[in-house]
Amino acid sequence: MTASASGGRPAGAPAPAGRRPVRKTDGAPAGRRPPLVLLVPACVAALFALLPLGYLAVRAFERGPRYAWDVVGDERTLQLLARSLSLTAVVVAACLVLGVSLAWLTVRTALPGARAWSVLVTLPLAVPSYVAAFAWLASAPRTAGFAGAALALTLVSFPYVHLPVAAALRGIDPAQEEAARSLGHGPLRTFLRVTLPQLRPAAAGGALLVALYVLSDFGAVSLMRYDTFTRAIHTSYRASFDRTPAAALSVVLVVMTVALVAAETRTRGRAGHARTGAGTARPAVPVPLGRWRVPALAWCTTLVAAAVAFPLGTLGYWLAVGNSATWDAGALGEAAWTTLGVAAAGAALTTLLALPVGVIAARHRGRGARLLEQAAYAGHALPGITVALSLVFFAVRYAYPLYQQLPLLIGAYAVLFLPVAVAATRAAVLQAPPVLEDVARSLGRSPLRVLREVTVPLAAPGVAAGAALTFVVCMKELPATLLLRPTGVDTLATRLWTETGSGSFAAAAPYAAALILLAAVPSYLLGRHRT
Amino acid sequence: MTDHGNELRIEQLTKSYRSGAPVLQGLDLTVPGGTLAAVLGPSGCGKTTLLRVIAGFLRADTGTVALDGRTLAGPGVHLPPERRRIGIVPQEGALFPHMTVARNVAFGLTGLDRGERRRRTADMLDLVGLAGYGDRMPHELSGGQQQRIALARALAPRPALVLLDEPFNALDSALRAGVRADVRSALRATGATALLVTHDQQEALSTADLVAVVRQGRVAQCDTPQDLYRRPADPWVAGFVGDAVLVPATVHASGSTATTPLGTVTLTAPLEGRSTGTVVLRPEQLQLTDADTEEAVRGTVRDVFYYGHDAKVTLAVQGVDDPVDVRVAGPLSVGPGQEAAIRVTGEATLHP
Amino acid sequence: MRRPSARRITALLAAGLLLPVLASCGSGDDKGGSAEGGDSALVIYSGRHEKLVKPILDKLEKAVGAKVEVRYGDSAELAAQILEEGDRTKAGLFFSQDAGALGALSKEGMLAKLPQSSLDEVDKAYRGEEGDWVGLSGRVRVIAYNPDKVAEDKVPDRVADVTKPEWKGKVGFAPTNASFQAFVTGMRVLEGDDATRLWLKGLKANGKVYTNNLATLDAVESGEVSLGLVNHYYWYERVAEKGEDKVGAQLKFLPGGDPGALINVAGVGILKDGGQAGTAQKAVDYLLSKEAQTYFADTTKEYPLAAGVTSNVEGLPPFESLESPDIDLGKLESLQETLAMLQDVGLV
Repeated sequence: MTASASGGRPAGAPAPAGRRPVRKTDGAPAGRRPPLVLLVPACVAALFALLPLGYLAVRAFERGPRYAWDVVGDERTLQLLARSLSLTAVVVAACLVLGVSLAWLTVRTALPGARAWSVLVTLPLAVPSYVAAFAWLASAPRTAGFAGAALALTLVSFPYVHLPVAAALRGIDPAQEEAARSLGHGPLRTFLRVTLPQLRPAAAGGALLVALYVLSDFGAVSLMRYDTFTRAIHTSYRASFDRTPAAALSVVLVVMTVALVAAETRTRGRAGHARTGAGTARPAVPVPLGRWRVPALAWCTTLVAAAVAFPLGTLGYWLAVGNSATWDAGALGEAAWTTLGVAAAGAALTTLLALPVGVIAARHRGRGARLLEQAAYAGHALPGITVALSLVFFAVRYAYPLYQQLPLLIGAYAVLFLPVAVAATRAAVLQAPPVLEDVARSLGRSPLRVLREVTVPLAAPGVAAGAALTFVVCMKELPATLLLRPTGVDTLATRLWTETGSGSFAAAAPYAAALILLAAVPSYLLGRHRT
Repeated sequence: MTDHGNELRIEQLTKSYRSGAPVLQGLDLTVPGGTLAAVLGPSGCGKTTLLRVIAGFLRADTGTVALDGRTLAGPGVHLPPERRRIGIVPQEGALFPHMTVARNVAFGLTGLDRGERRRRTADMLDLVGLAGYGDRMPHELSGGQQQRIALARALAPRPALVLLDEPFNALDSALRAGVRADVRSALRATGATALLVTHDQQEALSTADLVAVVRQGRVAQCDTPQDLYRRPADPWVAGFVGDAVLVPATVHASGSTATTPLGTVTLTAPLEGRSTGTVVLRPEQLQLTDADTEEAVRGTVRDVFYYGHDAKVTLAVQGVDDPVDVRVAGPLSVGPGQEAAIRVTGEATLHP
Repeated sequence: MRRPSARRITALLAAGLLLPVLASCGSGDDKGGSAEGGDSALVIYSGRHEKLVKPILDKLEKAVGAKVEVRYGDSAELAAQILEEGDRTKAGLFFSQDAGALGALSKEGMLAKLPQSSLDEVDKAYRGEEGDWVGLSGRVRVIAYNPDKVAEDKVPDRVADVTKPEWKGKVGFAPTNASFQAFVTGMRVLEGDDATRLWLKGLKANGKVYTNNLATLDAVESGEVSLGLVNHYYWYERVAEKGEDKVGAQLKFLPGGDPGALINVAGVGILKDGGQAGTAQKAVDYLLSKEAQTYFADTTKEYPLAAGVTSNVEGLPPFESLESPDIDLGKLESLQETLAMLQDVGLV
């Protein structure tokens, strides 16, 4: 493995300033412009993702920059910003602790049933934040507020950190850890000084998705009555029926997003792709847990219980005690089928759009490639309603036949969740050694065919994992679905909204349960995929 | 087969990266068709850049690359890699992990019908001694086998040139010699022109027909292994391609011999218009003799390195700054601290 | 990456993704076709919940003799959507849960004037100033109490009194509920911002917060709190479902024009640019008709506002007997300041 490092072309790593031999950067694709077959669709995807920003620009400044500035500069706005950021910071920190600890326990230790746990800890992805919040609120009303919002959001989003970190852990050559141990470091110091720094890019990528998710979340914070920026945007629509202040506030979210994305790009730092060789790293010898076995098991059990079993149990309780539970199996089936359909189409379109962006982000450097990737993220912290209204705005003007048709809803999913798929695609392509693409070129393949025959097949499992993740988040999406669905079409999430809105939790429970169970299938595959 | 065409001609190639010094600085190299040439140089000399420019993955700033009389890269010309007819064998083979061995080998065989493709694949597997391995997946092969499949894959479309990028690096030394020999015979059998990039001078000397030593983006010397070793262009090349003993010399009036602290040395060629210089000797040109021989120069043994088939004895000799290495075949009769006498045999080159 | 099982999972995922896509395309087409119904079809954007109004809207479809499609959503979000759609709106009729959203559309001039005959059906207090929307049904704020915890005559007559020390920890309310917020707005109109702010602070100190009216009512029934600030019809729905003896709560209708007895209305307006004015007008007529008004009275347990219909719900005080505060519902648009106040106090 030491030999492989000397030949590796560190994709994605900036040119080293230090004493790294020149030949290592020789092959880096820095100077190569992305081929048009990638660049054109990637630009299309980026423009698509930037649509909400165009809308915000129109709306936020329609009464002049002065008005927008007054809204943004208001003391209350700044307070909300601080509240949003503190919630984001706490949730991200908690997700990092949970995600990294679970990844380490399930990948590197002799945890009993490690494989089963690695699947179980992915399942929280299937739980919508508003269902988690509702379950907590129903049984522990005192959690309302910051603590409850942080709890609910952490419990549904830590798999965003766990999944990439677990994958990265599997990719790290255990020889490095053995070397550290032989140099006199204990297991903990080895983890902190050798393993953890290498997990940083993966953890940061996951943390970014968590942060943007928290910033954009409305369901959990509104149920938990914790006032955040997103809630203020909703309130602005609700209370004043005025889209201008809402848009001005949304612009602030976009600015925060760009800052977060830039920060994440930095953490990728100099550490490039660790292994470029053709061989597979030797599997690590699991760390025996010894007397930590029981606490470790308790930790996993507690988390899975709190994040999955508890909301499901609450739903079960409502089903059992509710007298309004005269649920309609036909409507449930239809909503489930529609949900699967739109979420699958949304995942397919999102993945398709993400592919060229992810490949360019993995294989090319320079400002253009970075901008493309950041454009994909730009709207990700916007609340669903803002994205939905922006698509209403554009569709009504420029694509009227699509308005309130499924394609527009599916397009909205792509705008909302493009970064999820881009992150997965980028990571997957980074795993495929670029030298294979060179070989394919030298054997007579055009760039497009290299993409189709080498890059995509190699990245396929990772891309599919990204698609599964997108599928799950599409299934759970509510605000944009409500506004953009064809009239009369219901997904599980909209049915759930309808039933809870009229107060019949028992009637809502089957929809919530169906949503979680259906979303658990791709989550389950995600958990298994890399083990 | 195609022994006469497929000449690789590189002229005045320059390349620099956005940040930093130029990597290629007017490199010239001609490899006759059917030759296995090695590009030998230290890390950072630009040899991998050269390889990537030839393959078409990088654009040179100036200069031309021509193959078989066809300009691949030059002013206003840049043929994409897929249209160059150049096969590459990367480090560690880089087989496509999602394809069987047979599909890997057949990857470049486009435009052939199924039967022909299968025949060619089988021939190639046979050529590299891995007939019957077609259905395996790459990860089921050893490192050496992977490397030979990579060669078969590169040779299958009958390329005009094969580029080998330190292909034996990842193999352990016991395997290396065998794979090297197999690769060379496979290349000979197809008559392909080949360029082997390496930093290992033994590999270059033992494998290639022609060795180009690259230093700071230029070819310092391009010669047969034998001439390169025995008549290095300068002391740096001499030291890079093998162990060298450098001693000051005063040329005799005849011009064919010179006096050195190690005794009188016969020169391969006189140096025009100079009476002093540095002589490059190889350790195996020096012999230990009885200390009381008339011609002998005396020295003190500093250290002894025993290799089995021979040994290297390092001595301190008056008038020579650096320790002098002497290669001794057969049984050793000296140890550290003892005195010994040295005698020079054969010819040596004189450098300014 | 190289393990065959990973490939299998990939294939499985791909298949799983594709199947419903194809299915949804099929089902999407027939839904899509019907949305382009032409002039005879009516599209209603309903901010009222499907559970509450679907039966009457089904009947409405028969009454107007045209295909009716209903798009359910949140009243405010639907209003924002209509504003964004502008003159290309798909909505013919907007059915709002509250007056505020209708007022917002009216302000932007998006609603068509209603004929005087329709307007005259409803008391002036419950229709738009511009004559472009009309209220259909009303709900009144009440205090629900648990008779096991508090005697009827001890229940406060004024909502202001629930902040008194004797009710500490005994008042339930749902500050995120739109009706509660409308009531606070009413209080601001009647008693001024300073008094309202003070009252809210007292309520925060005294009260327990619930997610909505139903949860508040549950808490009253279970005795978790003694009093609850809710809308009247939740109690009557529950009584209809379980029988009065099984409902562990009673209602107190506040006298004397107390802000705690505010009436909120749900109403409709016709979209000027919806291109469905004819059908929409028929729909408005139907919703103001005796049949529809009776539905609101009997099924949603609200107060009907038109056609001379009076509620037959047992135990419900007659509409005329309500001593609701006299305020202009149009002013309830100043919800934003109310929300700011609730946020300042720390209730939302």
